[in-house]
Amino acid sequence: MTGLRPTPRPTRRGVLAAGAAALALRPAVALSPADPASPVEVADGVWMIEGAAQSFARTNGGAICNIVLLATPEGAVVVDTGSNARQGAALRQLADQKFGGVAAVVNTHHHPDHWLGNQAFADRPILALPQSRALQAENGQGYSDNLYRILGSWMNGTAFMPATADAAPGPLVIGGRALRLIAMSGHSQADLLLLDQATGTLVAGDMLFLDRAPSFPDAAIADWLAGLDRIAAIGAGGVVPGHGPFHRSSAALAQTRAYLRAFAGRMARASGLGLAPAEAIHAGPMPEFASLGANPEEYRRAVVQRWRDFESDALPVIGGT
Amino acid sequence: MARLLTHLLPRGAGAPAPVAAGDPQADPFDSGMWPHHRQDHLGDPRDWAMDPAMLLLAPASAEDPAHVPVLVDATGVAGPVARIVVTIDYSPFAVGLVFHPGRALPLLGFGVKYEMAGAIRASAEVIDGGAPPRWSMAGAFVDAMGGGCTAPAATHARPDWQEGFGQMRGRLWPDTGRLRVTIRHPMDTGLADGIPAHHLTELTLEDAEGAEIARLQIHEPLEENPELTFLLPPELARGPVIVRARDNIGHRFRGRLEAGA
Repeated sequence: MTGLRPTPRPTRRGVLAAGAAALALRPAVALSPADPASPVEVADGVWMIEGAAQSFARTNGGAICNIVLLATPEGAVVVDTGSNARQGAALRQLADQKFGGVAAVVNTHHHPDHWLGNQAFADRPILALPQSRALQAENGQGYSDNLYRILGSWMNGTAFMPATADAAPGPLVIGGRALRLIAMSGHSQADLLLLDQATGTLVAGDMLFLDRAPSFPDAAIADWLAGLDRIAAIGAGGVVPGHGPFHRSSAALAQTRAYLRAFAGRMARASGLGLAPAEAIHAGPMPEFASLGANPEEYRRAVVQRWRDFESDALPVIGGT
Repeated sequence: MARLLTHLLPRGAGAPAPVAAGDPQADPFDSGMWPHHRQDHLGDPRDWAMDPAMLLLAPASAEDPAHVPVLVDATGVAGPVARIVVTIDYSPFAVGLVFHPGRALPLLGFGVKYEMAGAIRASAEVIDGGAPPRWSMAGAFVDAMGGGCTAPAATHARPDWQEGFGQMRGRLWPDTGRLRVTIRHPMDTGLADGIPAHHLTELTLEDAEGAEIARLQIHEPLEENPELTFLLPPELARGPVIVRARDNIGHRFRGRLEAGA
């Protein structure tokens, strides 16, 4: 293990015991879906807290995206911070107790499940691509309002806090841990990926999904597919997708690519045959992906989000003023 | 029979099974506005019923309160449909649109803005010979974050928003009778700060001789850059069809659809 304090691989019970010892005079660590009670070490010094393969819901508290902690002697590099203050605070507590604090925080992109826990790290540098920072500032209030509506009291105390420093593509060494930052777009306007040089682990953000339907609110499908080709060329030794399990294969790459193509195909067919968007929604997802986590709701959202991209191809200009 | 095209997508779900109604005048959405809307906008009819033969598709949750896609299919309703009135229970503008199908079939796809969660309803007025009018209703509850009617149209965020204003896109599918048309228009409701009302008020379909096929009265809740779906009988679906529209400040729009174009 790289730089992590010499503790055994933390099982859920182990974390509870450690937490109870460390917090003898403080309230017990709250156990809930949004609290990262069970990080798993997927590669040397690369710890992952896997999000629920679902949409935002009160039953998961918004803990739906994967969070990664990279251990360094100067504390953890925390990649993404969850959907709310509570999740961020639990993550901070974990980092302080088991990783010797927080060296830096990275936000992979501006979607709210990935950074609304930032406020727990206000005293540490929080890095994101410049465009992600601008989009966080622009959309933070709207995201918060929407998540309060969906998640209710899980959002208590959440005040959105955009990243505070620019991430630059290229090599970055934090606490002796060599990373390579890779900037792409396609899932959103700016997607940041991290390659951990020591282990070859790629933290892919939402450029990759596995066994959870990809989301499309800001997707540019052609750019996203081009990004997948770049990811394939990296030849990572292990992959943490934005949503879905860690794996040492091309599974997420293949599935994300197939999903994007199938979705684009279904939308092109629907708009090309004269279906109304309400019909495309009602028809339901591509059969081969109907049972992915977060479907059919993610498919239905995606039709609304992306319908007009396809419509202008399907409908020629016929007049005007 | 519903005339949905969902089966054209691989394993696309068919029309939802009609729910056998208990009391046909019971409101499945238990909404306080419904009696008022029947009174104010439908002429307080006595002969009305929630009709399982009438279909209204809308998402259970609005992903975007500015664009909630809806499809109304009254082709299964017994008797000729003279008009379809779309009302939204808790919208600042109760009436979304009124569709006079005329020589088209009583099917319409459109999108609406949602100001707050509530039911959207379609009420089809059946006028059969000299019998008194009869109304068939369908509805769906849409959960929405809201703000769709009071937020500025997205286009105002762009300095060049007037570029492309009024552009019409469309297509006619003779095989299925489908006609789809979109118009670039901000559809400003007048409720957003500093932006006066500027919205379409009417859209008509005409045949090559200029005779009306169908007509839509359009109100504020119709979405920005509206997209509309119609269903024509085979003889009209061969085209050409002229689309005419106008807005509340006097702009006129025209487009021409040829089959297979």
